Amino acid sequence: MPQAIDFQKLLTLLTYDKHDPLLFGSSLFLFFFMFVLIVQRLFSNQKALRIYSLLFFSLFFYYKAAGIYLLLLVFSSGFNFYFGKLIYTRKTAFQKKIIFIIALLVNLGLLGYFKYTNFFLQILSDLKLGTIEPLQIFLPIGISFFTFKALSYVIEIYLEMIEPVKSFRDFSLFIFFFPNVLMGPIDRASAFLPQIEEDNPITKEDVGRAIFLISCGLIKKYAIADYISLNFNERVLDYPLRFTGVENLIAVYGAALQGYCDFSGYTDMALGVGLLLGYKLMDNFNRPFKAISVADYWRRWHLSLSTWLLGYVFKPLQISLRSLRKIGTAIAIFVTFFAVGLWHGPNWTFIFFGVLHSFYLIFGMFTQSIRKTITDKLKITGTKFHHFIKWFFTFHLLVLTAILFHSPSLQYAINMVQQIFTYFHPEVFPQFVQAYTTVFILIVFGYLVHFLPASVEEKAQNLVIKMPIVFQALLLMVVIWIVVQFKSAAMMPFIYFKF
Amino acid sequence: MISDRLKEVILKELELKEYDLKDETVASEVPGWDSLNHINIILAIEKAYGIKFKGLEILKAKNIGDLQKLIDSKNPL
Repeated sequence: MPQAIDFQKLLTLLTYDKHDPLLFGSSLFLFFFMFVLIVQRLFSNQKALRIYSLLFFSLFFYYKAAGIYLLLLVFSSGFNFYFGKLIYTRKTAFQKKIIFIIALLVNLGLLGYFKYTNFFLQILSDLKLGTIEPLQIFLPIGISFFTFKALSYVIEIYLEMIEPVKSFRDFSLFIFFFPNVLMGPIDRASAFLPQIEEDNPITKEDVGRAIFLISCGLIKKYAIADYISLNFNERVLDYPLRFTGVENLIAVYGAALQGYCDFSGYTDMALGVGLLLGYKLMDNFNRPFKAISVADYWRRWHLSLSTWLLGYVFKPLQISLRSLRKIGTAIAIFVTFFAVGLWHGPNWTFIFFGVLHSFYLIFGMFTQSIRKTITDKLKITGTKFHHFIKWFFTFHLLVLTAILFHSPSLQYAINMVQQIFTYFHPEVFPQFVQAYTTVFILIVFGYLVHFLPASVEEKAQNLVIKMPIVFQALLLMVVIWIVVQFKSAAMMPFIYFKF
Repeated sequence: MISDRLKEVILKELELKEYDLKDETVASEVPGWDSLNHINIILAIEKAYGIKFKGLEILKAKNIGDLQKLIDSKNPL
């Protein structure tokens, strides 16, 4: 007997539930995305219908994650579209500046209200400047990402890098586009909007690359990040004093890898999903743990945010403080990385994370010539050994920031470092390997793949691109099967969702 | 067209013997012209030409050709 469709259940599935956004990798997302692809295919010769349907699907996707706060996304689109035009059409530089400042204030004001109000109230309370009860403020998911994306549009118009887009429909697609609305990449208007205009067809290469990226993303997120997090990292990060230094150290290496696999896994999937819809999103990662300096790291990690802050915060500050020379640059670095920390969330661990990165960079800038003199004297400048030393120090400096980033509070981070330096107990290592064999193998595997030459990844990608479509589908099925084997009962939310 | 004088100032600041700077060359293509060095080059140009840029003017310059135009607009000789 065929079962009747339970419309009530279907309705529940399609209704906003704050605990159940449409996560990439969930079965509901799979059905949703299949449906989107079918509709896009049906309208393959009707560009307008394709864009309108994509707008509708993107709004639904955001509604599933944020409910009524969908209106905020719509407001952001309308406001920035209008203000972009307003900046462009003003005659004098002064008028342009005023309009631009209003646009900045409104965008950052909304972000600040939703994300930081209670944090500042808490600071006021801590400083005994008054006790105000925390407000009931809902944090619309992805607000930091879409606010920065929308801001890039008005900034690029103000800096005369682009002209305002004529179509509100196209601009809304840039803001709403579901693959990057929740967790980036923070695409630039100048790179995304022309793609809507050009409407290039999806090539076989795009499909192959998308399959490759989605497969990599699924494995990074569900087979590596979630598994090592649930089965080991979280236990140590939540109770560092219950574990020896050696376990804390492995958890720290694991946390750094987990952070990377979680976020870059999401980005890979977003890029893949974008490609299947005909849009190329911005690359966000370039093997960050291969960095040989902290500055190099920021040219490899969360590129869509780091280049945003470099272009729109660091550079203007550095230029306006240029008479102070290196001191001016140091101030610009500090402010930029304070913003990096704050952008990640209203928590002191994130702020210290940003500040620590700024100290690394400032220290690196002031000691550049001394370090060069030392390595010249030791005759190791430019040698493989020098490269290794630079990598080793950089990696461990980054790992130290990963402790701050992943710890529930500063005290936990301090406890972890203390355990590593005062209660190391290397003899526990074999027991750890025995007790957490899969975790250990996954951490080693994750880092090994990360450190493979980029040419290996390129070859693997080309192999997938050249495969017949049947084999590509088979590959994806195998990956999904592997992921299911690893997947725990409950899916872990992506770390960057909370930003 | 990039003037010999501007080329000389930039290459001297970057300690480069030779590099073909064209109108469309962007900073990131030139060895050593990174975000930290950027400000030293701007300061060297301001000093060599005896001019002062506005912050927004520098931010709007997309390539070396734009920088040359900016200098020419301030120092017609």
